[in-house]
Amino acid sequence: MSESTRLRLSAPTATVPLPAKACCHTSPQHTAGSEAPVVALVGAPNTGKSTLFNALTGSRVTMGNWPGTTVEVSRGVWRTTSATSTCHGENCTCDHDEGPLAITLLDLPGAYSLDAHSPDEQLTRGLLQDGPVGERPDLCVITVDASRLAHGLYLASQLRELDTRVVVAVTMSDIASQRGVTVDTARLSRELGCPVVATDPRRRTGMVALATAVRTTLADPVPDPRPTPITDDALVLDDDRFTWLSGAADSATVTPSNDRFTLSDKADRWVTAPVAGPLLFLAVMWTVFQLTTTVAAPLQDGLDRLFSGPVSAAVTHLLTLVHLHGTWVEGLLVNGLVAGVGMLLTFVPLMALMFLLLALLEDSGYLARAAVVTDRLMRTMGLPGRAFLPLVVGFGCNVPAISATRILPDARQRLLTVLLVPFTSCSARLTVFVMLGTVFFGKYAGTAVFGMYVASVALVVLIGLSLRRTLWRTMGSEPLIIDLPAYHVPTLRLTGAVVWQRLRGFLRTASGIIVATVCAVWLLQSIPTTAGQTFGDVPVADSVYGVVARTISPAFAPAGFGQWQTASALIVGFVAKEAVISSWAQTYATEQPQPGQAGLLGDHIRAAFEQSSGGHPLPAVLAFMVFLLAYTPCVATLAAQRREVGLRWTLFGVGLQLATAWLLAVAVFQIGRLFW
Amino acid sequence: MTAGMDLASAPLDTPLTLMSVGGAVTSRQRLATLGLREGASFRLLTRTIGGGRIVLVAGSRIALSRDLVRQLRAQAA
Repeated sequence: MSESTRLRLSAPTATVPLPAKACCHTSPQHTAGSEAPVVALVGAPNTGKSTLFNALTGSRVTMGNWPGTTVEVSRGVWRTTSATSTCHGENCTCDHDEGPLAITLLDLPGAYSLDAHSPDEQLTRGLLQDGPVGERPDLCVITVDASRLAHGLYLASQLRELDTRVVVAVTMSDIASQRGVTVDTARLSRELGCPVVATDPRRRTGMVALATAVRTTLADPVPDPRPTPITDDALVLDDDRFTWLSGAADSATVTPSNDRFTLSDKADRWVTAPVAGPLLFLAVMWTVFQLTTTVAAPLQDGLDRLFSGPVSAAVTHLLTLVHLHGTWVEGLLVNGLVAGVGMLLTFVPLMALMFLLLALLEDSGYLARAAVVTDRLMRTMGLPGRAFLPLVVGFGCNVPAISATRILPDARQRLLTVLLVPFTSCSARLTVFVMLGTVFFGKYAGTAVFGMYVASVALVVLIGLSLRRTLWRTMGSEPLIIDLPAYHVPTLRLTGAVVWQRLRGFLRTASGIIVATVCAVWLLQSIPTTAGQTFGDVPVADSVYGVVARTISPAFAPAGFGQWQTASALIVGFVAKEAVISSWAQTYATEQPQPGQAGLLGDHIRAAFEQSSGGHPLPAVLAFMVFLLAYTPCVATLAAQRREVGLRWTLFGVGLQLATAWLLAVAVFQIGRLFW
Repeated sequence: MTAGMDLASAPLDTPLTLMSVGGAVTSRQRLATLGLREGASFRLLTRTIGGGRIVLVAGSRIALSRDLVRQLRAQAA
């Protein structure tokens, strides 16, 4: 395989740590050398492919009971032996004398066939069929679910028509047993004309037998392709494949005379039912929302207090010891770095909890059912039902919601959802809404806040429809066809691995941008614009930050909040909405009010809106709240967006949010002041 | 016109044989790879929200939306 092909396959997804009990089948490296054979793991979605990859390489690829878990190509080293013994970590009994063979193992996206209906399947087809023969993998291991053998063999039938070596790994035997299905692997091997090995990646059994089959097949010449009818008619070819695979599956499988009505089937009667289904879905979503906003909140507050209190005090104390107290160095370290790292870490409990809940929903199999329940509603925006989940998650926090769009297998649907998530009103905005509602609407504060949530839902639907009918006009609205995985009891190891992998990805991507932005705001607030003032010791109004705020504030005059103090709060809000109130407090040099109380700061803000709106503070503050709702949530969301859809679409999203926010704010104020 | 009934009219928990598959080519191909092609034996397990169905075919449970259900015709096996 050439280097160019290796690059096209994308970089490995993660630095691969050694598992706690490393054995001869694991490796911390991603490639086995340029001479090592390349083996591709392929198979229909949700057949245990990524779990098998992790079992063979010790990697941490995202795994889940959900089609489309593998959204990029992962690569690892599989150190094989041909022993017939088993290998269990420290009790490893592999015969090392047989000489281990390092194999570069690729985990390709799930594909039902080589027909390439989705970007992920296109990638798989490009590697296995369309690319030059010399750049294709030396062997393909196809994972096939034992409980539905014929379902996974279509891909095998297509691969057997190519000049490639094939080994079939039969997985999910435990579920097959529960359904009364047994598979005769020897018979299946004869029918398919390639080795067939029973494996259980979740329990890591059958790994050595698979290694033996792969090594033996690699040593043999490439087998002749399966003969097919000479025709260009796809339907004739399909008929031939189905006849072939049905014959193989029927002869090698013992199934109950009548498919059993399983517990999963009984559950589905309720879970996807017309009334009970949506009620259960709402209950699940409400629980996710509650857990992420209530359980994580004390942890976030604790971390916030830790960094703004003891950690900042300790750094200040250390700087005092080296005579840097009161200097710009203290400002940079305490208000820049420590504050930035503190803000990043306050997201960790929220993100970990969200990823945990998502992983549980995925691994249990419920997520596929939720997609069925919400499909019709989401289809109006051209999105599948499963897009509902990231949007609901967005009401807790936009950052994990952006990551949650990975459950969407279609790249364009993923992109559209990523652009819509920032319009869901996250809990950070809620703090500002409550404060402004209390100051301006008194006993109607709750109604005002509720109205912002209604506006948020309306924004998501309207922006979604607008994008669907403009930029996404060509995006087809395919009917729902979803392969429902069996319900699983989520396993601690798989769930933990998924949570850690996603959390680590977030931290790696978001940490730089968050800390850098917080430091940049501190820097702008520290640079004086008038003579006689020193760097790091300047009132906000006289800093570069204040000047920038004064420069942009006229843009908000048509919306009724053209004062520089308000504009500066919006600049800080671009970094994080949590910082809006503290920014006002800093600007007006007052204490932050207690929750639900207006305080002196409320008087300042009321006076500012009174003045900037020409005597129409209510429509002005409503316009401000609408702007706050619609414009960019925070830099962490931008970091997550950049990770998922790249810089270009992230900037497009920022432009869309700012334009929407400004137009709506101006409309709200200009119309509102006619009545108030 | 193909004989049989569309799946929206077909009974639950009854062995059926698929007679014809309508709709877009991509949908037909997707259904075929999942085992739902002409002549396939299957059963309808559940009626889902929005008028869709969950189909049991070759050991797989496949959820189909209402519009697709109306494009598949079957007869009792």
